[in-house]
Amino acid sequence: MSGLLPTTINPKALKSDALASFVTLLESVRGKKSLILDRTLSAPLSHIARFSVLQEHGVDNIFWLDDGPQKDSSQRNIVYLIRGDIKNAQTASAQIKKLLQTSDIEFDFNVILYPRKMLSIEKVFEEEGVLGDVTISEWDLGFIPLEEDLLSIELPEAGYKDMYLYGLPTTISFSAIALNALQKQYGIYPRIIGKGTQAKKLCEQLVRMRAEYQSSSDTAASEWTKGETSAFDQLVIIERATDMVTPLMTQLTYEGLIDEVFDIKNSQTEVPSTLFTAANPKLPANGAASTISTTPIATEQRKTRKVVLDGSDPLYASLRDLNFAVVGTTLNKFARKLNEDYEERHQAKTVSQIKDFVSKLGGLQAEHQSLKLHTNLAEEIMNRTQTEFFNRALEVQQNLVASGLDTSTLNLTIEELIVRGIPLEAALRLLAIECLTSGGIKERELANFKRLLYAQYGYEHIITLNALTKLDLIFQRGSKTSANATTLQFSNLRKNMRLIVDDVNEQTPDDVAYVYSGYAPLSIRLVQYVIQKRALGTKISTLGGSGWRGAEDILRNVPGDVFDQTQKPDEKSIKTKVLQAARKDVKRTVAVFFLGGITFTEIAALRFIAAQESERRRILILTTGIIDGKDVIKAAMDMTPSGVSTMSVE
Amino acid sequence: MVPNPTTGWERLQDVFYRKRAEYSMMWVDDIDLSEFIVVGAPYGGAIALVRDTSRPMAYRGPEGRQKMILIYSNSGQLILNIPWDKGSIRGVGWSEQEQLIIVVEDGTVRVYNDFQGGFSQFSLGKEAEDHTVSECRFWGTGFVAKLGNGRFISVTKLDEPRPRMLAELNPAAVELHGWTIMSPSQTLSRHIEVLVGVNSTISMIDSIESQDRFLQEGPFSHIAVSPNGALLALYTTYGKLYVISADFQKKYSEYDAGTLDSPTQVMWCANDCAAVAWESEIRLVGPGGGSLSFYYESRIALIGEPDGIRIVSNEKCEFLTRVADIVVDMFRIGSTAPSAILLDAVEQLEFKSPKADDNIQLIRPNLTEAVDACVKAASYEPEPYWQKRLLKAALLGKSVLELYSSDEFVEMCEILRVLNAVRYYEVGILISYEEFIRLTPERLIDRLLSRQKFLLALRLSGYLGLATDKIYVRWACNKIKSSSGDDDNAICKTIVNRLKPIASISYDEIARTAYDEGRTNLATLLLNYEPQAGRQVPLLLDMEEDEIALVKAVESGDPDLIYYVLLHLKGKYSLAQFFRLVNDKPVASAVVEQLARNDGPELLKDFYYQDDRRADSALVIYRESLLLDDIQDREDKIKLGMKIFQDGKDAYPEAKAMEEHAKLYDLQVTYEKDYKQTFIGLTVAETIKKLLKIGQSSKASKMKSEFKVPDKMYVFLKDGTFPVAKKS
Repeated sequence: MSGLLPTTINPKALKSDALASFVTLLESVRGKKSLILDRTLSAPLSHIARFSVLQEHGVDNIFWLDDGPQKDSSQRNIVYLIRGDIKNAQTASAQIKKLLQTSDIEFDFNVILYPRKMLSIEKVFEEEGVLGDVTISEWDLGFIPLEEDLLSIELPEAGYKDMYLYGLPTTISFSAIALNALQKQYGIYPRIIGKGTQAKKLCEQLVRMRAEYQSSSDTAASEWTKGETSAFDQLVIIERATDMVTPLMTQLTYEGLIDEVFDIKNSQTEVPSTLFTAANPKLPANGAASTISTTPIATEQRKTRKVVLDGSDPLYASLRDLNFAVVGTTLNKFARKLNEDYEERHQAKTVSQIKDFVSKLGGLQAEHQSLKLHTNLAEEIMNRTQTEFFNRALEVQQNLVASGLDTSTLNLTIEELIVRGIPLEAALRLLAIECLTSGGIKERELANFKRLLYAQYGYEHIITLNALTKLDLIFQRGSKTSANATTLQFSNLRKNMRLIVDDVNEQTPDDVAYVYSGYAPLSIRLVQYVIQKRALGTKISTLGGSGWRGAEDILRNVPGDVFDQTQKPDEKSIKTKVLQAARKDVKRTVAVFFLGGITFTEIAALRFIAAQESERRRILILTTGIIDGKDVIKAAMDMTPSGVSTMSVE
Repeated sequence: MVPNPTTGWERLQDVFYRKRAEYSMMWVDDIDLSEFIVVGAPYGGAIALVRDTSRPMAYRGPEGRQKMILIYSNSGQLILNIPWDKGSIRGVGWSEQEQLIIVVEDGTVRVYNDFQGGFSQFSLGKEAEDHTVSECRFWGTGFVAKLGNGRFISVTKLDEPRPRMLAELNPAAVELHGWTIMSPSQTLSRHIEVLVGVNSTISMIDSIESQDRFLQEGPFSHIAVSPNGALLALYTTYGKLYVISADFQKKYSEYDAGTLDSPTQVMWCANDCAAVAWESEIRLVGPGGGSLSFYYESRIALIGEPDGIRIVSNEKCEFLTRVADIVVDMFRIGSTAPSAILLDAVEQLEFKSPKADDNIQLIRPNLTEAVDACVKAASYEPEPYWQKRLLKAALLGKSVLELYSSDEFVEMCEILRVLNAVRYYEVGILISYEEFIRLTPERLIDRLLSRQKFLLALRLSGYLGLATDKIYVRWACNKIKSSSGDDDNAICKTIVNRLKPIASISYDEIARTAYDEGRTNLATLLLNYEPQAGRQVPLLLDMEEDEIALVKAVESGDPDLIYYVLLHLKGKYSLAQFFRLVNDKPVASAVVEQLARNDGPELLKDFYYQDDRRADSALVIYRESLLLDDIQDREDKIKLGMKIFQDGKDAYPEAKAMEEHAKLYDLQVTYEKDYKQTFIGLTVAETIKKLLKIGQSSKASKMKSEFKVPDKMYVFLKDGTFPVAKKS
């Protein structure tokens, strides 16, 4: 009521709030219960609650939604935790109906909907005739804190597929709900600025949501912190479609490469267990991985092991955002320092000195293990990046973004790579980058490529290519009229947005371009345009306008609408004005929201900017999920049934 | 002359109790409480009088039957007379939202949502119907019904009632005596529990199990839980009262009532002491076994409040409560508490006596507490005269203090003005400060609205800084209900003119009211003023304005609403009509496509066909074909897909590729036959490679030309090396 707001966003508090609300929901069901879990929610849930916590609150066993409650092992109390999706509701209601009909146990059905109760879901339950048998509640989990500076909604496929391939409004809607919740808790975004057609819709929805809350006297209205002060300086929304080049490029930071090579899902990756031969692996934090595994992990020797990769490991925190080229030397330095720390034991003479050393030993051992893991991991990545496919593909990528001239030579290389059998996903990435940077591929050449692709990977990829065309990733030159301003005019941006930095310093970077060894992500340049103009060269930094002002000509080359919306604080509370005056010196937060997914390299680049800007402001990275080029291509490849053609090379 | 606050203080052991007459009842038609069951809504709310059919009553002519359920204010003003024809009433209670709940013998439950007779109804289910309901106990948001067979059913949420059987009594009881409930806020488990006297002990029952508490002192005819859930008062059939801890671990006191008459009610006076009521006597029983009795001339009814007991008799409505320590310190004769001295200082000041300053100097070190105490004590005082004096004393003390935050003082002044306004006999809400804090200002406004005190609600809302739009909405709804004869346009105009100055008011509820009143035209007129597209949707659907509903849902951008409308329409229209409805709406179309995708390929094909999306349609069939096991089926299906392409005017490169795929399967079948090797499932490249490997190079080169395989690829397949591009 007092209007006093927390000045900084506290991810830990978000996490504990989310946990508390989930526990309340669990406790609302008396006694032991079986939890039926929507697969896509297992990742978010494991970030919030460990399995032991669920057990403490009566969860006896967990089943996947696809499998449903098992008759003989289920508790009488059944709790569904599902995303508010029609298909999930249909699955759940069918299971409930069946249990009601076939079993004489008096079940107690509860459905927890994420992220909110929905009319449409109730309608499905009603149609199935089970609405009267279930208690429906909601878990309004918005952003899930992945790191101190990174919050994600963790939508499946980062919401990319739903938004672009299926054209569904869900991604925007979920984003609006989550962003609005943040706004409610920490104060309004005084300015919402961004780029992208869907992003603009999101902005409009956000503004409308606030207006609706303001006008209504529902209890919800009182949830709004009425203060004039806000923890936020502004919200920058960048839509994925404004820059599809960046995610398709091979990421060259350490974390980015781990993602490219091993896949990072849910802050975890699976690596060959051979990497652990000597080192004692850092196992997934208590139950993080075992939370969701419904079947006990088989004792058989598994070929891969799960590793948790997050900022709690100081070595990883210092390595992850570096360009891979300098990871080796950094590991070296770290090893030397660790060695020195161990050597201290020789200097320890007195009992208290020895005691001192012993107390540090635990930390040193953990560091030692981490060092071993990352040395092995880096080595493994090195091996994989020295293959011909990797290097030649990288070369093509770099040439496409750097010059875009002479695509015919590059096309020959791509052809050769396809004929030699580079993985389909890598080939498609190259073709997509070419389309995006050169405005499409000529009709004849595209037909040629398709012929090659079908011959090499199978005709079923007619479907894949069709999906990629729908996603505007692979298209024929001129198939989009140049008058249509919404296509990417990459060649006009190279210079204007300083996308190519020739003399990039990977050791001590002075520009975000280090994350791709010379290519500065367009998406990040857009963010910089709003909050750090000086990084874009004299031509732009002298424009001096705020927000997008002065950039109209340049922005015309980037697809999607531009918007810049100010939100006025509530006039109701005047008391807080005094408080505001007292807080002027507080550093405010710029929230950068990536609608449709963000890559690890972009996160690294944003952290790089955050470090440069740390005097002036904080940067909070928000997203619908983390993606990379594989995920983008996979969204299309998933449309094609797998295993139709065998690519067996004997 | 305003009576001294100490008037009516009565001592029970070392504690004072005060019983104040708040209202003289203004019953118009000779009401005799002895003919009714009297139940009051919590926090000083309305009183329901329900005819007690088990008692004989005087015949007052045929209209006597009309008076079955009557709702009165605390001052005895009739709010509503509910005609009743449903059958024998077995439970009467109030919710926190001041909804009257009536439970009928056959398990029917009626919830009266407003004071205009509007209600919702549900049933407790078959078990209740078969065994009939015998008694009910209520708490703020739900109730428990006891059935004829000794089972209990609980309903925890009145707006979404899910009657649930509680566990069976274990072991099966011979004899059930008194029972009560512990509401979720009173139990450790945060779930409803029932305490029932069984033989000479008590059992606890919840949704999972029943547990015997192993007492010997029973049988217990009455069980009462203290408002904070910590203590139990147990009254035995032989006239003994025990007070024990709610976990049954500790006995605090034992009291012999000295009578075998069964009490009419046993309850708690706040958390302070137990109260036992007979027809015309209330006896407070203190923790040390002391007691304090009040006698009446006629039958009385007790209504438990969190901070005391409301007593309703034929003549008056009273409030019985413990005198707070802070008030005792203030007013006790000869008190030397700083607050009492501060209060005295005000009086001295009025006499212009220098003793005023002496007083202040005397309590100087404790002045802050004294000021706080005066502010706090004012909250307990019902008389504006004493409220003012106390606040004046606080003001005096405050003026001497250098640093004192006035927030609480100001807030108290504001709240007391509000409380005095609603306690006024014409409103008749007997609410104390503590109850007001628990009820919240918003809900107090709701109560005024249900009493149709719109102007007062508006004034108080303005005063408390609450949103006022809800008041205008309720006023408008009321306007519609009460002006059934007027012209639609005229009413709409009146309402819109009145509501215009209020920023972004929501019209959906008003329109809904008009619709429920059967005035569709008015509803349409009003709905046009609703600023939020999403809110219009449910009503539009009810009004069968389906297409507009869909447009509005899309406009709102809320996928839930879009899905909701589409699911609704899908069941209503034929598939073709349904698809046509969404054809020109891209977002709705995408959502239908997703619904179809969930549903399976058949619906998806229909959808694409209807939408004239040939390529999509053909690809669905193509995809289906790939999932078939039999290769001939696959080929047939691929050809089916191709046909869809061919029917169109445009050329589709995909059609050509699909044709080649079918051809590839054709060849592979032949090769498998000819060479007894696996070919099906291989790509063109691999087929060629395999042919070359088994020495069928002519077949391979034939394939190369038929599938237009580029030379480079062919060379690579043949030689395993990639030809170097010639410099041109």
